[in-house]
Amino acid sequence: MMKSSVSGFLLLLALMLPPVANLLESIMITHMHMQMPLLVISGLFMANFFQNRFPDFFSNWNENGVPGILLFSIIMMYWSLPRTMDEALTLTSVEAFKFISLPFLAGVPLGDSWPKLSSFWKHALIIFFTILFLALGWLYIWSPVQLCNNYLVIEQITLGWGFISTAFAMVVYLIYSYFMDFSKYE
Amino acid sequence: METVIKQSGKTQVFKDKANKVMGISLEDAKLTKSYLSVAFLAILLGGLLGLLQGLNRAGMLELPAWLNYYQVLTAHGLLLVVVLSAFFTIGYFYAGLSHTLGGLLPKVRKMAWIGFWMKIFGFVLAVIPILMNEASVMYTFYPPMAASPIFYIGLVFIVLGVWMCAFGAFINVASWRKRNPGKHIPILSFFATAVFVLLFFGSIPVAIEVFTIIPWAFGWVETINVMVARTLFWAFGHTLVNIWYLTAVSAWYVIVPKIIGGRRWNDLLTRIVVIALVIMNITGGFHHQIIDPGISEPVKYMHVFMSLAIGFPSLMTAYAMFAVFERTARKKGGRGLVGWYKKLPWGDVRFLAPFIAMAAFIPAGAGGIVQSTNQLNQVVHNTMWVVGHFHLTLGMSVVMTFFGISYWLIPYVSKRVLTPQINKLGIIQTIIWTIGMIIMSGAMHWVGLLGSPRRTSYSTYFDNATALSWDPYLFFLAIGGTLLMIGVLMQVYAVFNLMFFAPKGNTEFPVAEVEEDEAPTPRWTERWGLWIVCMIVLVGMAYVIPLVDFIVNAPPGSPPYKTW
Ligand code: HEM
Ligand SMILES: [Cu+2]
Repeated sequence: MMKSSVSGFLLLLALMLPPVANLLESIMITHMHMQMPLLVISGLFMANFFQNRFPDFFSNWNENGVPGILLFSIIMMYWSLPRTMDEALTLTSVEAFKFISLPFLAGVPLGDSWPKLSSFWKHALIIFFTILFLALGWLYIWSPVQLCNNYLVIEQITLGWGFISTAFAMVVYLIYSYFMDFSKYE
Repeated sequence: METVIKQSGKTQVFKDKANKVMGISLEDAKLTKSYLSVAFLAILLGGLLGLLQGLNRAGMLELPAWLNYYQVLTAHGLLLVVVLSAFFTIGYFYAGLSHTLGGLLPKVRKMAWIGFWMKIFGFVLAVIPILMNEASVMYTFYPPMAASPIFYIGLVFIVLGVWMCAFGAFINVASWRKRNPGKHIPILSFFATAVFVLLFFGSIPVAIEVFTIIPWAFGWVETINVMVARTLFWAFGHTLVNIWYLTAVSAWYVIVPKIIGGRRWNDLLTRIVVIALVIMNITGGFHHQIIDPGISEPVKYMHVFMSLAIGFPSLMTAYAMFAVFERTARKKGGRGLVGWYKKLPWGDVRFLAPFIAMAAFIPAGAGGIVQSTNQLNQVVHNTMWVVGHFHLTLGMSVVMTFFGISYWLIPYVSKRVLTPQINKLGIIQTIIWTIGMIIMSGAMHWVGLLGSPRRTSYSTYFDNATALSWDPYLFFLAIGGTLLMIGVLMQVYAVFNLMFFAPKGNTEFPVAEVEEDEAPTPRWTERWGLWIVCMIVLVGMAYVIPLVDFIVNAPPGSPPYKTW
């Protein structure tokens, strides 16, 4: 179990290396759809380190997983805004906040909450993010203006389609889990 | 275990047993026999056309005006890339589904037959314009070259026919899972599911492409976006390559260990290889477009990465195969660091052919890595090197595995046996094919490095010195091709002998078991929906950036051209 925490931490370090960070941040879609998810994933891997270290904290504050998932959602929504991405590139403090908030305030709570959530909440979360992604896709594709100082309009449109295609994948998953009754196969 | 078995459950158990004891049902056998017959007729005709090309390239044969080089090349590509591989894959996996899932459902069998005739009909439609010299667009049919619309309509039917078979397979697997709660899909059917998932999702892009080409070929719209069309084609074309590969790999993992009297490699890791190949496949398409303008350098760089990712499951496969060989040979008393290889059944064509196929994948894979590298691709792009590469991968690794399969699959479906004579013929055939392919593909690789272009009928370019220096290699190409044609004739003879004339008897469907002490495979390997979602996400990651760029920043489209 410890191994996964170490690999999560190594992933975080790798993402912090200046050439890696610069490369991923140089393209809008890899910034939002590759670097940020990877940061969350590094936190996911590190979750069990914190769970072992502070078992009481997680069982008291995140008994049914809902508070953790709310925190996760808030952080994710915050980082979906064009403004915050721009700031991360211009202000070092915001960049630092990105590298802390996404693993530790989004990845770790997600890792702790997901197994505790009922299937209702799991599906609710996916539905919520599907709608959010469709809306963001719509925003980025059809926005009449350039939303980020640091990225061109073409990159913005590309990111929009990235959101739409991710939303499409989630819709496929929802349809699949709606029609598949796993209990029939167990 | 469940306590209550319903009536239908009981008959199913009975059917499963009957299947194991008496072999395949006659109806399922007929389906596979038909698919395999078409596959081997395609190789007969395709091989003949290949020989014509080889002789022409060596300057030994001038093709007549009514059947020019590019007609022959289009037909050769279509017959071998589409017909042979699709029909063999479907015939083989449908027999596998029938064997491991207790027979095909009647509904599914009907779907496979409808698919069969749709593909044949589509193929006939595509061939007519080729023969009329109205469709010399090669099997890649890149715009702005435009064929007669009939050609594309034929392709639509082929795709629809393949989808029929894919959905048939899904229905059969789903029904088996309902009847067998808690069990893992048998490994061969697991491979089949993967292959049909890839066939279905991989052919969606080409279907989109063809639907945009048809109105353009009819002249209803004036122009087409060339880059989008090429990209959609290779999303499909590359996936198709990996479908053959996965088909061959299924035999390496599941069948070959049984033939050498061993057990197969770890079930969980096998399934992980399959899942990895499904998820990562479609995105490799860009390595066919390394020279294409309009794709920015960082994106090309990212795609080199995605292509090479496939190397990981391939290396796992290589490791697994040799682990199985060594383990089996040592169990049979093989000794020494490498001396154990003597215990393998070298005289059995069912082993020898797939073994050489695997060995060929080592240089073939190395060549593939060369081509995926940006700078090296500049050297070999569109030269004969590439033709040498895919004759090694497809013509050797894949096709020789198919040959090896035919020596037990055909007796199995025709309820006959492999005689020692045919086995011997098979061994000789394997050797001839190996030598022929080494000569031909070696010559192709080399002459490609010297600059000889692919897809070009013989020319000395006004006795240009460089072009003349290719001649000796092209001569070897023709020699290799002639040996291969002899190999084709022997193979086709063996196939139809085993199908109709060999002595009657029972042939087993060789599916290896796992090691006895192996831990049970976890349930999550069965979450196909999840793998498909991962695949879609990865496809999104790979294709959104370039496609948006091609479409938003599109240059003026191209009108259709007939370049021949
Ligand atoms: C008798 C055996 C064969 C011979 C002599 C042969 C020979 C050739 C030659 C000379 C070319 C043309 C190169 C060019 O001008 O670009 C060619 C192309 C090709 N061959 Fe073969 N081949 C044989 C078997 C196969 C097999 C078994 C396969 C696959 C299963 C195959 C697949 C292809 C493909 C895909 C092309 C490319 C067509 C194109 O560029 O559009 N060939 N072959
Ligand atoms: Cu490829």
